[in-house]
Amino acid sequence: MDTNIDFKKIWNTQEVQKLEIADLYKKADRLKRYKRYQLMGANAILLITSCIIGGIWYRYQPEYVTTKIGLVLAILAMIIFLIPYNRWISLLKTNEGDNNKTYLRQLMQLKQKQIFQQKWMLSIYFVMLSLGIALYLFEYVSKMTGFWGIVVYTATLLWIGINWWYLRPRVIKKQNAKLDELLQKFEELNNQIQE
Amino acid sequence: MDFEEIYKTYWQKVYRLCMGYVNHTDQAKDLAQETFVKVWRQLPNFRGESAIGTWIFRITTNTCLRQIQKEKRMPKSELPPHMKLETSEVTIENHIQFLHQCISELKEIDRIIISLELEDIDQKEIAKIVGISEGNVRVKIHRIKEKLTKKFKENGY
Repeated sequence: MDTNIDFKKIWNTQEVQKLEIADLYKKADRLKRYKRYQLMGANAILLITSCIIGGIWYRYQPEYVTTKIGLVLAILAMIIFLIPYNRWISLLKTNEGDNNKTYLRQLMQLKQKQIFQQKWMLSIYFVMLSLGIALYLFEYVSKMTGFWGIVVYTATLLWIGINWWYLRPRVIKKQNAKLDELLQKFEELNNQIQE
Repeated sequence: MDFEEIYKTYWQKVYRLCMGYVNHTDQAKDLAQETFVKVWRQLPNFRGESAIGTWIFRITTNTCLRQIQKEKRMPKSELPPHMKLETSEVTIENHIQFLHQCISELKEIDRIIISLELEDIDQKEIAKIVGISEGNVRVKIHRIKEKLTKKFKENGY
């Protein structure tokens, strides 16, 4: 087919929107601050939770080792939950200066890692937190009458059960739905390059 | 090359590449802005393994490709009416509008390749930006131009 239409000439007639360089610097600053606050926010929650748990330890001086293990497990669960916020920023980076093919591959790997992390992190988080609570309660329940002990543990196990069988799958599904969709889209783009 | 010089030299090219990808002036401006924020941040780490232009266009096109993460692209059939050309005849005034519309109907990678070509970037460099062979770039450009020509002719060019 005849391809004599001068597309370059047409392309060069387009108007270009200007942008002041000062506005660009402002945007860069805003982004930097936003990222820093996001990181600080996540870690502040961790710090506050750990302080509260540490405070309980100090204030009530638990006698049983189970109580102490329970507290440590709860803190560890929090740490595990918050690791991704820190890791995704440092380790799972993509290189914007790579060619499109390599970059898309990196994006796909990143999404796969995020999907895997979210699934396992959440499960580990729930297990540790549940175990932590169950162990922590043991000391106090053992000082109660048998009836109240059963009531407290039944309620706790019920709550853990709801978390594990209802909340956990829902959270994982919701979080991964968007990632799955993106992964699929990036795969499509990657296939376009291979064609 | 300092950042301000880069900005002055490349803003127009980067903006037009983004425009070729999204066919929306505000979105193109946002994408171009995002590209330069990345260039500004990463410039101290640029080691000159490729030409500065290649590096900037890689960042531009990668930023375009990644934008689906922020929002779902509007499916072509749902384009708002003002973005579609009403006339069936291509007039001198709406040539560029029509060209952008035709490009927006292409697949994403083809949009990138043709925008780079129209920006007068060497095919060898396009190959380095996209990550395919030079021969492949040549074939793709030929096919895309054929498609565009067909559309222009069908609309009375």
